[in-house]
Amino acid sequence: MSYGILSFGAYVPALRLSRAAILEAVGWAVPGLRGLAAGERAVANWDEDAVTLAVEAGRDCLRGLDNTVSQLSLASTTLPFSDRSNSGVVADALLLDNPLLTEDLGGSRRAATSALARMARAGEAALLLASECRETRPGSTQEMLYGHGAGALLLGEGKPIAEFVGAASCHEDLVDQYRTAEADFDYALEERWVREEGYLKIVPEVVEQAAREAGIAVTDIDHFVLHGSSATARALAKTLGVEGKRFGDALESNCGDCGCAHPLLMLAGALESARTDAYIMVIGFGQGADAVLLRATPALAGARAGRGLSRTLENKRLSSNYTYFLSLRNQIDIDFGLRSERDNRTALSAFYRKRRDITSMLGGRCSACNTLQFPRAIVCVKCGASDTQAPESLSGLTGRVKSFTEDWLAYTPSPPYIYGNVEFADGANVMLEFTDFTAGQVAVGDPVRLVFRVKDFDHKRHFRRYFWKPAPVIED
Amino acid sequence: MASGIKDKVAIIGMGCTRFGERWDCGPEELIVEAFTEALADAGVEREQIEMAWLGLFFQEQSAGKSALPLSMSLRLPNIPVTRVENMCATGTEALRGAVYAVAAGACDIALAVGVEKLKDTGYAGLPERSKGTFDDLWLPNATAPGAFAQLASAYAAKHQCNPQDLKRAMAHISVKSHANGALNPKAHLRRTITEDQAMNAPMIAAPLGLYDCCGVSDGAACAIVTSVEKAREMGLKDMVTVKAMQLAPSNGLEMSNTAWDGSYLLTTRIAAERAYKEAGITDPRKQLDMTEVHDCFSVTELVVMEDLGLCDEGGAIDAVLDGRFDRDGEVPCQIDGGLKCFGHPIGASGLRMAYEMYLQLLGRAGERQLASPSIGLTHNLGGHPFRNVASVSVFGLHA
Repeated sequence: MSYGILSFGAYVPALRLSRAAILEAVGWAVPGLRGLAAGERAVANWDEDAVTLAVEAGRDCLRGLDNTVSQLSLASTTLPFSDRSNSGVVADALLLDNPLLTEDLGGSRRAATSALARMARAGEAALLLASECRETRPGSTQEMLYGHGAGALLLGEGKPIAEFVGAASCHEDLVDQYRTAEADFDYALEERWVREEGYLKIVPEVVEQAAREAGIAVTDIDHFVLHGSSATARALAKTLGVEGKRFGDALESNCGDCGCAHPLLMLAGALESARTDAYIMVIGFGQGADAVLLRATPALAGARAGRGLSRTLENKRLSSNYTYFLSLRNQIDIDFGLRSERDNRTALSAFYRKRRDITSMLGGRCSACNTLQFPRAIVCVKCGASDTQAPESLSGLTGRVKSFTEDWLAYTPSPPYIYGNVEFADGANVMLEFTDFTAGQVAVGDPVRLVFRVKDFDHKRHFRRYFWKPAPVIED
Repeated sequence: MASGIKDKVAIIGMGCTRFGERWDCGPEELIVEAFTEALADAGVEREQIEMAWLGLFFQEQSAGKSALPLSMSLRLPNIPVTRVENMCATGTEALRGAVYAVAAGACDIALAVGVEKLKDTGYAGLPERSKGTFDDLWLPNATAPGAFAQLASAYAAKHQCNPQDLKRAMAHISVKSHANGALNPKAHLRRTITEDQAMNAPMIAAPLGLYDCCGVSDGAACAIVTSVEKAREMGLKDMVTVKAMQLAPSNGLEMSNTAWDGSYLLTTRIAAERAYKEAGITDPRKQLDMTEVHDCFSVTELVVMEDLGLCDEGGAIDAVLDGRFDRDGEVPCQIDGGLKCFGHPIGASGLRMAYEMYLQLLGRAGERQLASPSIGLTHNLGGHPFRNVASVSVFGLHA
C-alpha cells in the first residue's frame, strides 16, 4: 500500500474547430493570427460547460472502478455557478454517495496543480477533477490557442499507477494574464516577457526543489508535463539541461490550451506512454508555480485500457464553420425566432424532490417483474405492482435508437433538434434529446451512450438545468 | 351490466365556423358564430338548453380557464357549464360530457362547444408550454411534428419499407385531403396540391415536410344534443345518433417500456376495439362508410388506418396508394379536408369532425356529399405517439 494516483481520465469535447477557419473569418482584421492558424482547437458544444466536461473526465477516470470516493475536488476558473456547489452537481452525476466532501477550487490556472500538490503532501484520498471552458474574444490570440477540456485523477492509498515522490510550490505575483470577475475574457501580456521573467526564472526553482525532495536529479526526470507553449517548453528544457523531447505534447495542434485542466490532460497523455519507474514532473504555472513529481509503477500498464487522452482526442467532429462556433459559445446572437423565447424556469423544490432521478438518471427496477423504467414511479409500468422499484441509474447503459426525428421547427442552439425513443436493457424506454449528432447521422437501431449535458438555459434567471442525452458511442 | 351509449342520444343541431387565420375573431366571436348556426339548426330556444360543456385547450393564450368563456360569450342563463381539456381529444370530450348528461337523464337538452384561438401566438405551429415541473426537467422540448415524425422512422424500420414509398403514401394522403378540402367552404386551406409539391416541400421534422403537417387555425364547432325520445317528441324522423364514444389514455407503457415498438398508436387500437364493441361493429372495413381521423400529420393518418382495422398491419402504404381512403374509395377518409385543410384549433377539432359526419349522414354535405352513408367514425389523438389520449366515436343514422 502506498499513496499516489490510482486512476486517471481525460475528456476533450468531440467538436473541433479548424484554426484556418478562424483566420479566414477574422484574418482581414487580425492578419497577425496567420502564424497560429494551424491544426484545430477543441470546442465545447452549446450544452457543455465546466461542470459537464468535468463529469465526462470523472466518468473516464472511474470507469470499471467502484465509486467509493470520500472527497471530490473540482478545479476550474470557469464554473457556471459562483454560488451553488458545482462539485455537488458533478458528484450526483458521477453517482458518488455520502459521506462525501465536495469542494470547488478556482482563482488560478494553478487551481488543479496546487490542489494536487496539497493532496499529495497530505496524502488525501480524493477524486480531483479539473475542467475549463474559457470563452474567447473573436479575433484574439486566445481564440486560436485555447481549447475546452477536462482531466481527472483518483488519488489515494492502494496500488497506485504512479506514486507521489515530491512536490514544491511558490508564489510570485507576475501578472502574465488575468480575468476579473466583471470580464468575459482573459487579458494577456507579452509572451516573451512571461517566458523570460516568468517560466525560466520561477519554474526551475520548484522543479529543482521537488527533485531534491525525491532525492533525484532533474536530469533523472523522464517526462515533463508543462502548462505552457511548446516554445516555452524548449526554452525551459535548455535552462534545466534536459532534452526537449522529455517535454510532453502540449496538445497545441489538436486541442488547445485548456487552462487549469491542461496539466491533468497532459499528464493523462504522459501516463499513456510512461514506462514503469519513469519519473513524471507535473508543472503548473501562473503567479507562481507548482511542481509535483510522480513515479510510474508496474500497475500503470493495466490501467490504461478504455480510458485516457488519445481515446477522447480521436473521437472528433471537425468543423470549419466559424459562425457556428461563435453561436455555440454565445459570441454572436443569432435570431432563432420566437420559439427561442420559451421560459425555462425550473421549479427548484420539484427539482430537489427529483434531484437524483435527474442528475444521476435514477430509474427504478421493479422487484416483482425485474422491469427497468425511467422515470421511477410508485406503480410499475409493466406489472402494476406498487412500491417495488429499487433506484437504479441508467446513465452507464448503452441504448438503442427506437425512433427519432430531426426537427427543424423546435428551437435548439444547434439545429436540427434531434430526439427520439431510446431503448435500454430490461424493458426500459425513454424519450430523450440527442446531442453531438448532426443531421443524417442517426438511424433506427443505432447504439448510443448517455452523456450529462445542459438541458435548458434559463436566461431570465441565469440558471441552467442538466440532464442526460444520447450521444454517439466511442469506438474502442 | 352497462349497456353503453348506443342510440340513446341524438344530435339535433350542429354549427361550425369557417376555420382559418381569423384575425378578425377572438374566442368570443368564434363561439357565437358556431352556436348561432347550431341553435338555428336544432330549432330550439336558447333557454331550453339546460347544461353545457366547453372544450378549450390553450386557455393561457386565448379565453382563459373555467366555464366563464362559454357562459359569458353566450350570456347563458347561469346554467351549469363545465370546461374540459383532454389535449387533442378536447372537442370530443366536450361532446361526451353533453351526451352522457342527456343519457343519464340529468337534462333533456345539452350543449357542447369546442373552440381554440391559436393565431394569437405570433408564430407558426402550436405554442410551447410547460409540460409540468418534473417533465420539464427531462423530456425533450419536442414539437408535435417531431414527435409524430418518429412514427415514420419506427414504421419504416419495423416493416422494412422503402422510405420513398412511405413518403409517397404520405404525400398521397395530403393530396387527397387537399382535394377534399378544396370542396369545403369552411376549410382553411382550399387549394389542391400535387404529389410532387408534397414530396419536395421544405422539411419540418424529418421525414415530415410542410405538406405532411396540418394547418394551424382558429375555429369553433358546436353540437346540441337530446335524448332519442325527446328528439322524437320534437318530430325528428331521420336523426343522427351517437353509436359509441370511447376514450383511451396512455398509462405510461409506451414511453417507459420496450413493449411498444413506436410504429403504431396503442391507445387508438384500444379505443377502437371498445368503440366497435359499443357500436356493434364487427367488420369496420365493410360497416363503416367514412372516417374523420386525427390527421395532424400525414403519417398519423397512415398508421391510424391500420390501428382502426381499415387495412392490414404493414399494409397501409399499399392501401393508401391504391386509393382505398380517397373520396371514391372503400372507406373515404377526411371527406371535409381533415385537420390537413381545417387546421387544428385543438378544442374544436373533435366537434368539427362530428359536424362533417352529421352533414354527410343527413345528406347536407353539398359538393362533397357521399352516396347515402349511414355510419361514420371520428378519431382524435391528443399528445404525442409515446403518450397520448385517443378517442374513437361512431355516429350513425337512427330510424
